[in-house]
Amino acid sequence: MSQLHGTVALVTGASRGLGRAIAIAFAREGAAIAICARGQADLDATADACRALGADVLAVAADVADPAGRERLIALALDRFGRVDVLVNNASTLGPTPLPLLADTDPEAFEEVVRVNLTAPFMLARSLVGGMLMRGSGLVVNVSSDAAVNGYPGWGAYSAAKAGLDALSRVWAAEAQGFGVTVVSVDPGDMDTEMHRAALPDDDPAQLARPEDVAEAFVRLAAAGTAESRLEARELLEVAR
Amino acid sequence: MIETALPPLPALPPRLRAARPAARRGVRRDRVRLLVVDRGTGEIAHRRFDDLPELVGPGDLLVVNTSRVLPAAVRATRASGEPVQLRPCVRRPGEWDALAVQVAAPHANVPLEAGETLRVGDAAVRVVGRREDIPLLWRVRLGVAGDLDLILRHGEPIRYSYVREPVPLDAYQPVYASRPGSAESPSAGLPFSWELLADIRRRGAGLAELVLHTGLSSYQDDDFDLEHHLFEEWFELEPAAAGAVERADRVIAVGTTVVRALETAAAADGHVRPMWAWTRLAIGPEKPPRVVDALLTGMHEPEASHFDLLRGFLPEALLGRAYREAIASGYLWHEFGDAALVV
Repeated sequence: MSQLHGTVALVTGASRGLGRAIAIAFAREGAAIAICARGQADLDATADACRALGADVLAVAADVADPAGRERLIALALDRFGRVDVLVNNASTLGPTPLPLLADTDPEAFEEVVRVNLTAPFMLARSLVGGMLMRGSGLVVNVSSDAAVNGYPGWGAYSAAKAGLDALSRVWAAEAQGFGVTVVSVDPGDMDTEMHRAALPDDDPAQLARPEDVAEAFVRLAAAGTAESRLEARELLEVAR
Repeated sequence: MIETALPPLPALPPRLRAARPAARRGVRRDRVRLLVVDRGTGEIAHRRFDDLPELVGPGDLLVVNTSRVLPAAVRATRASGEPVQLRPCVRRPGEWDALAVQVAAPHANVPLEAGETLRVGDAAVRVVGRREDIPLLWRVRLGVAGDLDLILRHGEPIRYSYVREPVPLDAYQPVYASRPGSAESPSAGLPFSWELLADIRRRGAGLAELVLHTGLSSYQDDDFDLEHHLFEEWFELEPAAAGAVERADRVIAVGTTVVRALETAAAADGHVRPMWAWTRLAIGPEKPPRVVDALLTGMHEPEASHFDLLRGFLPEALLGRAYREAIASGYLWHEFGDAALVV
């Protein structure tokens, strides 16, 4: 317990699914957390669950795809906690569902997926790594997907953005080497989440991992760090066992 | 009145006012020019900002101000429907001191009335009254919770006339900007890139941070500005940074705000201790720095209060020579301009 006592974490997309589970797991382990999502009501529910575990929580309803929303999130988190040690770029969008083939993908929808899944993580990390360099420590976790490395029909925009996110992690990890700052992509694997149901409504939920279990991989990562720039959550969980 | 043999300094030619961030002029942020002024030899050298790692080494400590800039030009509306721009600059629990100016350039001061209520978005902001010492500043109640969010939602960066087009807030933030609270950019740090900070580390020089939330550089009133009313600024110097300053052979302040904070935190014996306090300290020829050995700064006009601080570092004749040479060499001025290092 309390593996993350004294750590300040910022988790985006924290109102549902994996983001919510990571926020709650971090709270249970003693982290102070800033959480963000677009919808206030669901976000407040996550905040309440974290506070019930004794955590110091800041909830900011903001759209990470919007520059002003990102600035509010960063500024309010830094005002409240003074620093961010761990950034979890979890907020993500599939784009329109049912998932269209690439040739049928609306250009604006494609750009929106890139804005949320690639540009926003870059900009949030960019706002925080300067402070991490000054302190000589910090962790940026980009939530990726196996779609970043596999060509699943219908997943074009999402895949391209997640592959870009992996590239971002890889380059940033190389650039930050030796300065105590870690940047890593984590593929959480298939989970029983609202997003998964929207993408693949016919999958059997019983066969899918629970986000609460996968969140333990992120606790492990935040507590122990890594030398890798891409990981699968199950690898981290196997180590933990 | 003491007669001085030095001729008056020429005014800054308008063409040397940087109108855009370096990146928007096609120059990498860390490749602006760097005027190096050596107090010991009187030499003036022309370098580039990314030469800095060659100019520092083990024993040197660069101290930066990590205060984050707020979008401190806030849209408000009076009960009459008249729009007004608030420029909050001093934060206290629930209350800010703010300049109230017209929305349109040249942003002349708007006299508010004590007790009136302004709207900022959906929120009511009450005008408590004027500051007695600086009557152009109004005490406004933004509420204890959510005061910062109100500014973040309804503000944009304060922009002076030489910056002709709006610039995103991001361009006013140094790469290490952290805790928010500055009304204007602590701009001496703007040319630092991550790469340059990493190079400085590799050279064995240290980096330390403090926070000083900057106020306003102008009250939008030329006569009043010339009187150089320095108001208080909040700063935080943590034990780790104070210790690093004590151990350093040479302390290089990045910006005049860092000088103000460190010199305030220096006790009578000259030793720096951790401090969280307001400062009203004015550095100048009568009160030269005791802790700071070198200063990395933006280019400031002779009328600016920052220039008074430079007089604390440099003899008038050398300062004048550096200023003239920078003008002759076409250095760019103000927050998006070139830089100077006084060693």
